[in-house]
Amino acid sequence: MIYNNLFYGLIIFFLIGAMLSIVFNKRDRLSTYVSFLSAAIASVFGIIFSISVIFGEPFSLSLSGSSFLNFGFFIDRLSAFFILVISISVFAVSIYSIGYTREYYGKKNIGYLGFLYNIFILSMILVVSANNAIMFLIVWELMSVISFFLVIFEHEKPETRKAGFIYIVMTHIGTGFIILSFLILGGASGSFSFESFSAYGSTMPPLLKDLAFLFALIGFGAKAGIVPLHIWLPYAHPAAPSNVSALMSGVMIKTAIYMFIRVFFDFLGADVPWWGFLVFALGAVSALTGIMYAVVEPDIKKMLAFSSIENIGIILLGIGASMIFFASGSPVLSAIAAIAALYHLLNHSIFKGLLFMGAGSILYSTHTKNIEELGGLIKKMPVMALLFLIGVLSISALPPFSGFASEWLLLQSMLLSFNSTDSMIRIVLPVGAAALALTGALAAFCFLKTFGIGFLALPRSEHAEHAKDPNKPMLIGMGIFALLSILLGLLPGYMVTFLDRIVRDFAGASAFDQPFSFGISGILKIPSTAMSISTPAILAIMLIFILILLSMRFIRDPSATRVYETWGCGQPISTARNEYTARAFSKPVQIWFKNIFRPVRELRASYTVSPLIKESFKFEVRVEQIFERYLYTPVVDLMLGKSRTIKHIQTGSIHAYLAYIFGTMVILMLYIIIGGSL
Amino acid sequence: MEEVIFGSNIMQLFIALILVSTFMILGSTRLYSCVRAFGIQSFLLACVATVVGISTGKIDLYIVALLTLIIKAAVIPYIFIYIIREIKVKREIDLYVGISPSLIIGGILVVISYYLIRSISVITELSSFALSASMSLVSIGLFIMISRKKAIMQMLGILIMENGLFLGAISLTNGMPLLVELGIFFDVLIGVLIMGILIFRINKTFETIDTDMLKNLIG
Repeated sequence: MIYNNLFYGLIIFFLIGAMLSIVFNKRDRLSTYVSFLSAAIASVFGIIFSISVIFGEPFSLSLSGSSFLNFGFFIDRLSAFFILVISISVFAVSIYSIGYTREYYGKKNIGYLGFLYNIFILSMILVVSANNAIMFLIVWELMSVISFFLVIFEHEKPETRKAGFIYIVMTHIGTGFIILSFLILGGASGSFSFESFSAYGSTMPPLLKDLAFLFALIGFGAKAGIVPLHIWLPYAHPAAPSNVSALMSGVMIKTAIYMFIRVFFDFLGADVPWWGFLVFALGAVSALTGIMYAVVEPDIKKMLAFSSIENIGIILLGIGASMIFFASGSPVLSAIAAIAALYHLLNHSIFKGLLFMGAGSILYSTHTKNIEELGGLIKKMPVMALLFLIGVLSISALPPFSGFASEWLLLQSMLLSFNSTDSMIRIVLPVGAAALALTGALAAFCFLKTFGIGFLALPRSEHAEHAKDPNKPMLIGMGIFALLSILLGLLPGYMVTFLDRIVRDFAGASAFDQPFSFGISGILKIPSTAMSISTPAILAIMLIFILILLSMRFIRDPSATRVYETWGCGQPISTARNEYTARAFSKPVQIWFKNIFRPVRELRASYTVSPLIKESFKFEVRVEQIFERYLYTPVVDLMLGKSRTIKHIQTGSIHAYLAYIFGTMVILMLYIIIGGSL
Repeated sequence: MEEVIFGSNIMQLFIALILVSTFMILGSTRLYSCVRAFGIQSFLLACVATVVGISTGKIDLYIVALLTLIIKAAVIPYIFIYIIREIKVKREIDLYVGISPSLIIGGILVVISYYLIRSISVITELSSFALSASMSLVSIGLFIMISRKKAIMQMLGILIMENGLFLGAISLTNGMPLLVELGIFFDVLIGVLIMGILIFRINKTFETIDTDMLKNLIG
């Protein structure tokens, strides 16, 4: 009963937020408070509800009694976990939004934004709680369409419209494949309820199972942004308002991960070995591709979007490893990998939300997303810089922050494959582990660049000169996430036992049935091995080091060092033009991977009267998006070419169109006369 | 009951006359005589409805007949004549297909319709006469829309198709529920008004109601 009330409360508050924000849309401030506070209250309901489901019984609610379309909700521990992830993000992002939307006062319709925001979150919650394929598709489409409207919220910019177009096309290609997959499952099980999918899905003939798997992988992969279906992500996420980007990148793409687990484990049984390897390989490719493009990307929000592709890749590495272990009959290893994947998913939703909100704050106070125009922000916006730094350290997987714990666990679960008897597993998984290690190194490099160029040194433009800390709600929203990032990093033991409750349901085993206990919550210990790590201990050691360094500074004689400007070869160096640029910093990576980036250099010089004296130089470096260039462009060109040939039947003449109808009618009449059956 | 009505000589006569009126439209080169022929056709339809009403004893059908008479035989032709006067259009019809080929194609369409209805076995022998006439009206109406250039003729073509559907409906069901009929009449009337306004707009924009000119609109 209490479940019902919590769930209703969750839905009702989102609806109230949506409706009231439309009602008050003429009054910007009121509309902002009503819609975002309502979303925050709803998310508190969501957090309580999901935790009580995870520690209690699964929840189900039927909306109609008819057997054909029994619409309703079924929330098991997996769904509840995703509701928890969504709710936590929504809570912080909603508070942040109260401050962030001030930028739109008087310029945009806040009521409209608040309405879309609430409905968008509600649709995500319904996506993870639907119990029926038809209902799922309806709310899935709702989520896609509403997020499309949010992406094109600033539709007066042409690049936003382009982003929206790419997004809506890709997401509908995805939905097409999802429908195919569900039709196969529905055909085999004779019903569209998820219950019958999971009852009959694994008993389908192998070919149908493979097809259902592939269609689901493509369909949900397009939403998750796995390579090569990721091309919409770097356009759509930066185009949306930053609070929405935080939710899209942090949460929306995770609904696809939910469906991966639901379809692969629950519906299809995950007993085919090559599925896991495919998912694993796609994860590795996505992680590497994502982070490589992130390193060379100067637009902060776009860089974060590429990094989302990377993190989805890391999560998929975990899911893939879990599937491989599951199919090869080692459920405990499978559970460990799945825990790592879900752990990283939760961490990513938090630190990516934090970073997107940080990027939003930068945009809010400097009006630029281009890292080459920033610099010196640590002095101008100190609180924001600290919060952003926590996000950067988490995403770079540095101890003791959250990203480290989950990536360490994932790495260990892959390395445990040495115990496997299957040589294929022994070869592939360590390769994945190597890919993960490379990804982690590049991610650290990428965020070092972001923080170093963006926040340190001198301001590189007028924009950065006048930056200041954003308003309180924005800082509070970011602060919640920063705190969570630290907590999740320091308490891996708690988190792992918590996640084990969820993973037990689908991986079929508990990682903790082993006689090894995880002991103190701060210690992360892999069962049946001697490997363990303690993030609080690492923190303590680091703090001690810092203390030693600081005390050494005090102990030393201050007169022994003379503080003076760096020697700049006789030139004044204190101008921003002499500073290291982001492009230059990422140049080594660009050179290592130049076969992939295929950088394009253009040097244009304009001369004065004499060809010897140059007036100005324009130097441009561009990085090629290989998937767009070599995969999408040829396909689009082919389609357009074919369409042009077909276009000739579109004469524009009414008589011709009528004649087509007439001709069709006469042919059909003749067909029936000569004995064709209706 | 049904067979008695449509087998009766008077019904056959009316239906034959409706076909003849359709050929009058097909064979005429002047707008006024086309409109007049359409009026006659609608009048004959009203007669059919009355005959069905008398033999089935349904009061509804009298109302339908009366509405047909008022709307299709009087109001719509009047709107046509008003449009023709107002935009001072040339009285001749421009054709894509000449008069004699049009008549021949019309004849072929009637034959095809007749065989089509014959080959659908579920329909009784006698009501098939009315149905094949209705099918002919639909196909000839569509053919008129294709082969005539003036926008007014497209309007007339679609009304002929509508008359064909009316005939088909009445012959299959002995009169549909009154509510449905009223809805259809309302639809037709509004459709004609909208098309009339559209013709004025086309005339204003292109200074002709030759729909051939709409080709310029393609991008």
